[in-house]
This record gives sequence, C-alpha cells and structure tokens, in this order.
Amino acid sequence: MAIFRTRGDWGILLAFLVFLSVCPLFLSDRILTIMTMIGIAIVSVHGLNILTGYCGQISIGHVGFMAVGAYVSAILTAKLGWSFWTALPCAALAAGIAGLIFGLPSLKIKGFYLIMATIAAHFIIIWLILQLYHVTGGPDGMPVPKPKIGGFVLKSKASYFYLVMVFTCLSTLLANNIARTRAGRAFVAVRDNDLAAEVMGISLWSYKLQAFFIGCVYAGVAGVLLVHYYAFASVDQFPFMDSVWYLGMLIVGGMGSTSGAIMGAISLKLLDELVTIVGPILSAVVAAQAAASLALITRGLVIILFLIFEPRGLAHRWGMIKTYFRLWPFSHEE
Amino acid sequence: MNKMKLALVSSVIVVIVALSLFPASANAQKKLYISGTQSLTGAYAEDSAAVLQAFEDYAKYVNETKNMAPWRKEKFPADITLEVLWRDDELKPAKALTIYEELKAKGILVYRCSGSPIALALKDRLNEDKMGATSMATGPYLLKPPGTIMSYYPIYTDSVAAVADWFLAEWKEKRKPRVAYLTADNAMGKSIEIPEMEAYLKGLGYEFLGSQYVPLVPTAPPTTQLMWLKQNRVDLALGVMINPGSQPTVKEMVRLGMGPYQPYKLTLGVATPGHIAVFAPAMGELGDGYVCAGSFPNWDDPAPGVKFQIANQKKYHPQKFASHIQYMGGTLEAMIQTEALRLAMQKVPFEKLKPADVLNYGFHQIKNLPTGDISSSPLNYGPSKIEGVDAVRVDQLRKGKIVKVGVWPTRHLY
Repeated sequence: MAIFRTRGDWGILLAFLVFLSVCPLFLSDRILTIMTMIGIAIVSVHGLNILTGYCGQISIGHVGFMAVGAYVSAILTAKLGWSFWTALPCAALAAGIAGLIFGLPSLKIKGFYLIMATIAAHFIIIWLILQLYHVTGGPDGMPVPKPKIGGFVLKSKASYFYLVMVFTCLSTLLANNIARTRAGRAFVAVRDNDLAAEVMGISLWSYKLQAFFIGCVYAGVAGVLLVHYYAFASVDQFPFMDSVWYLGMLIVGGMGSTSGAIMGAISLKLLDELVTIVGPILSAVVAAQAAASLALITRGLVIILFLIFEPRGLAHRWGMIKTYFRLWPFSHEE
Repeated sequence: MNKMKLALVSSVIVVIVALSLFPASANAQKKLYISGTQSLTGAYAEDSAAVLQAFEDYAKYVNETKNMAPWRKEKFPADITLEVLWRDDELKPAKALTIYEELKAKGILVYRCSGSPIALALKDRLNEDKMGATSMATGPYLLKPPGTIMSYYPIYTDSVAAVADWFLAEWKEKRKPRVAYLTADNAMGKSIEIPEMEAYLKGLGYEFLGSQYVPLVPTAPPTTQLMWLKQNRVDLALGVMINPGSQPTVKEMVRLGMGPYQPYKLTLGVATPGHIAVFAPAMGELGDGYVCAGSFPNWDDPAPGVKFQIANQKKYHPQKFASHIQYMGGTLEAMIQTEALRLAMQKVPFEKLKPADVLNYGFHQIKNLPTGDISSSPLNYGPSKIEGVDAVRVDQLRKGKIVKVGVWPTRHLY
C-alpha cells in the first residue's frame, strides 16, 4: 500500500513542503536554528527507532555512532579536502560499520546486558577520538568547513535549514519504507519474540546486525549534519546523556512508529526551549540553580509520565484523535 | 470532557511556546544586556552560579552609582541601565546554539560562553556575527585562530609554564629537574599536551618524562599514577585539574610520602581550575606545597578588587555571601563586557549600536583595564590578542595559608 494514498494525503504533503520552503522568508534566525536542530534530532531518532523501536535492540550509545560519522566527515573534508557530498556517504558507512562491530554482542546478549555493551561502545569511541590526537585534534577538536553546492557555500542559517530539511524528509520517507519491507517486518518479529521469529526462519544474526547497521547509518548522517552546522568537531558535542534523551524522545513519541520519532523529537526539543526561557524568570522566586534545573526535571518528568500513562507515546494519541475525527460527529466516547 | 481538558492544556502550552519565540527589543527601554549562557546544571554548576551572582551584583553597582569600579574615574552613561540576561545551557553545545540566537534576537550586544564545549560550538558563529564575548573557558583552541571570545585568565599552557618558571628559579641541585604531566583525563586536562609546551619545558632545561592521567573526579586514589612518578624520579608534576581531582591526589601523595615537605620531594603545580582558594580551606596543612597558577586572589587579600566585591556582596545580599572563587571571574567578565559597551558608546550612539561596533570600538580598544588586582595583570585586548592578561600569578599553600610566590609573564604557548 502506498504511503500517500489519497489526494488529501498528497495535498497535505505538498502544503507541508511549500511551508518548509518558505519558512526562511518569515522565520527568525532563532526559529530556523531550532528547526534545524530538531531536523537533525529527527534523523538521529529515526535511526534509534529502527534499532530500538522496530528491532527491540536497546542502544544507549547512539551518540557515539553520531560521533563516528561526524569525525569521519570532518577528517575527510577538513584534512583531505574531500567535498561534503563525497564525505557524507563515507561517514554514514563508517558509522554503520562501527554499528556492526558494536552490534556483534547483540547476537549473544540482550536487554540490560546489551544496554551496558552500547554504553561501553560510546565511551570506547570517544576515547579513541581523544587518543587519535594527530588525526582528530584530540581534546582541542578541529574546524570543519561548511558544505558547498558547486561554488555556493551553505553558510547562512536559511541554506543550512534547507539542507537539513531535505535530509529529514528523505530519512523519514526511507524509515517509513524500511518498516514496510521484509526486513522491517522481520525486525518487528525479532522485537516481539526472537525465539518465535527464529523458529519461523528469520535469521536473528542477520536481522539484528542489519538493524544496527541501518540505525547507525542514520546516526552517522545526523552526526555529519551536526558537525558541519557547528563548523567545528569536538567530543564535547557528543555527550553521553544525549543518547539517553534520544531514547526519551522515542518513548515520548512512541516506539516503533516513524511519526512517533518525529513527534518525540519535536515535543522534547520544544519543551527544552520553553523551560530554558522559563528558568531565568523563575529565578526571581527561587535560586538560579534551582530554576535552571527545571529543564532537567521537566524532561525527566515528562518521560516518566509518558511511561506510566501513555507508553505507546504521542503517535498512539495522534492515531486516536484521527480516528475520533474520522467518525465525527458520530464518534463514540471511550 | 477529558478531551476538552486535554485540548485546553495543549492550547495553553502552544500559546506559551509561541509567545516565548517572539523577540523583545532592548532599545525601547534604553537598556543594555550583559552576560549570556550559564551552566548552572552541568559539571561547573557551582562555578557558574557564582559567576551569575557576580554579574548581577556588578550590574546593580553600575546602575546605582554609574561608576565602573571604585578605583576608576570613568562613568557609565546615566540614562542607560544594565540588565543581566542569561539562560542555562547545561554545558550542551546543542542548547547553546538556540540560546545564542534567542539572546541575539533580544538585542544582546556582548556575549558569554560558559565553558569550552559552548565556546567551541559558538566560536564560528560569534566570529560571523562579530559578537564579542567573554568566557570562563581558556585553552589553545580559542587562540587558533583568534576569534572574538576573550579570556581573562591565562590559558592553561601559560599557567603551567609559569609554574615551571617558578620551580626552576627555586631549583638548587646541579642535575636537570625532571618533569611530567599529572593531569585530568579529559579535554581540559589534556589541553596542555601540545608540542609547544613540551618544547618550552625542554628549552628551560627540564627533562621531560611523559604523562599520567587522573580522572576528572577520581573514584579511587591515583596510587598507580603517583607511583609511576616516584619510579621515574619526577621532581615536578604539572597538570590541569579541578579540586575534586586535585584534593584526593594530594591526599594520596601525602599517604605515599610524596610532596615538597615529604621524604620523596615532588611538587604538584596546576592551572586555574584547581583554584587554591577552594583547595586551601578544604585541605589545610595537609595540602602544603600545592602550587596553583593563574588563580584569583583569596578573599582575605588586601587587593582593592577583592574589597570591592566583598562590599558589593554585603550590600546586595548580606544574608548570603558567595564565597566560590569563580565569583571573581564573574566580576571580571561583567567588567569587561560593561567596559566594551561603554567604550563603543563613545563612538556610536546607543540607538545605532551593533555587536560589531562593540567588538571593534569596545573589546578591541580595552587597553590596560585596571581590575583592582583581581586578574594577574591589567587587561588588554585586540583583534589578535584575546588572552587578556600578560602575566600569571603563582600561589603556593604553605602552613595551610595561601602565599603568592610571584608573577611570571605569559609565554603564549599554543
């Protein structure tokens, strides 16, 4: 079945693309920056969704794989003079291969033990980057050039916004399609009951590694987009806690759903923006440190509340709203 | 009914988010903003809280008196008020980007980068926007190439170089002194491991032996690392550590009989993050011999800058004295930003002021700015001079008291 089934679907898609294309004309630099960061987060969360949401392989080392992509692209463009467009697939592939390597333990372990293995992956990757001082710049990091299309440098916030939005849309389309392929259905089978899946002839070895590869390719692309946006590569840009928040985005949005990955990334990023602004206002009443902690507390609280009251996330809630209005005015109250 | 409630709550949230995204102009009220990002929830939360307190106290002082400092004659324009504008970045570069855009839209003309992750993430952007900034971070990365982020204490390499200079001046033996790094196992600690630093030490006549690392916050005493120093007969260990790292290291040194006043003579010299003013009260005589370079004066120092800050604190929040030494860093940052604004307004009227004007006619024109001896030397900035100080203050803990052992020139090692 096609993703866009009706004329209405196509109309909404077209309207959305037109909206995205005119955004830089009326939105401030700040909102463009927020949208760009959300776009990059969406690409990364899509990868985590394939790995964790669809295939059930929980990873808390996702940001480590973003760092692999970011640094490979940084080295290729800054040190070897490659173009961004040549470096990007190489960086994505490198992140995918790193994912394959660190995904190998998933063949033997799962659950809590796999979480520990992916945490270790993050710290090993960051340690390697710090040790390879002459290649990566070590703790000092390294400047990274902005991408170019022909002679045009994507330097402005608007141009980079377009670049990120193209990747966000493409990655969303691809993620949605992957979920509908044979591999996508196999991922779900492995997630729901790996023993039953194996009995049915699904190769756990192959599909778990495929999920790691695809998920980490996404992470690699997100890392590339991030590091070229900063125009600087540094290990500080890939803190371990971000992996946890990406998982939180998936929980809030809804695991195993492409729209959930998008909703989770958007909602937590916007929430973050809101509490960042509210913090200094509250500092008139409470100590500045306590007010600033609001962001951490709120994000954590939101994730806990979703786990308790809506474990299927915003995507499920959105599905219910759509169903309600599809039957309106004859919809029934639950 | 439940759906109605849900819709209402969602609408309120959407409206709050939308309103918060609209920029507000500072010009309408003849107001100038200072500060920028703070890291009140990250690893440097205590430092940042003290910095923020200092910013607020200094802004109140300038608004009330229109003076720049008690020892200065220059006045801040009477019709303009200073306001401290800040956001918490959690020491996360991704947050710093959107915070920067928000504060820029609000009309901030000077900026603050809380730590090195933030400074690295914003360096390029600040350069593009010609936005002058101050930062608690100081490392070679800020100087290669020089950008618009100004430092107000020496870079870590210059600080440990000053310790090496002092140690050599005190050296009595005929053999070459043996030196090694004992530094934090993170980006900050490893920033001194550059060829220029090693070459400088060797040039002075040191025998360089290598590096040992201590976790930023050790979970076990660094016995192995210290034993390595002992086996290699190291005389001077140099590093960049914060107090949660340096205090357990020195305790273990004493337990192993290592230190300037112990059977095995070893001196540990660290750069600013190992603030001696934090170290001294916590360690007392147990920490004797600990050397810290590039630090600020202690709270009992008779320097006019220290007296000024104590007076401010007593006046504006008598019930709570912010004793963290980074309060002094905050005062310096506030002074630098305010001075840049004042100087720029002498060339460009308030209404037309842009970040580039404040950078060119403000920050870059700061010459010999007296700080009441809070900084190691008066501050000087220029397009290629962003390390504001020209000297490094070196202190040592002796009989539980902080003793200033001298001031050495910065060596510009980066």
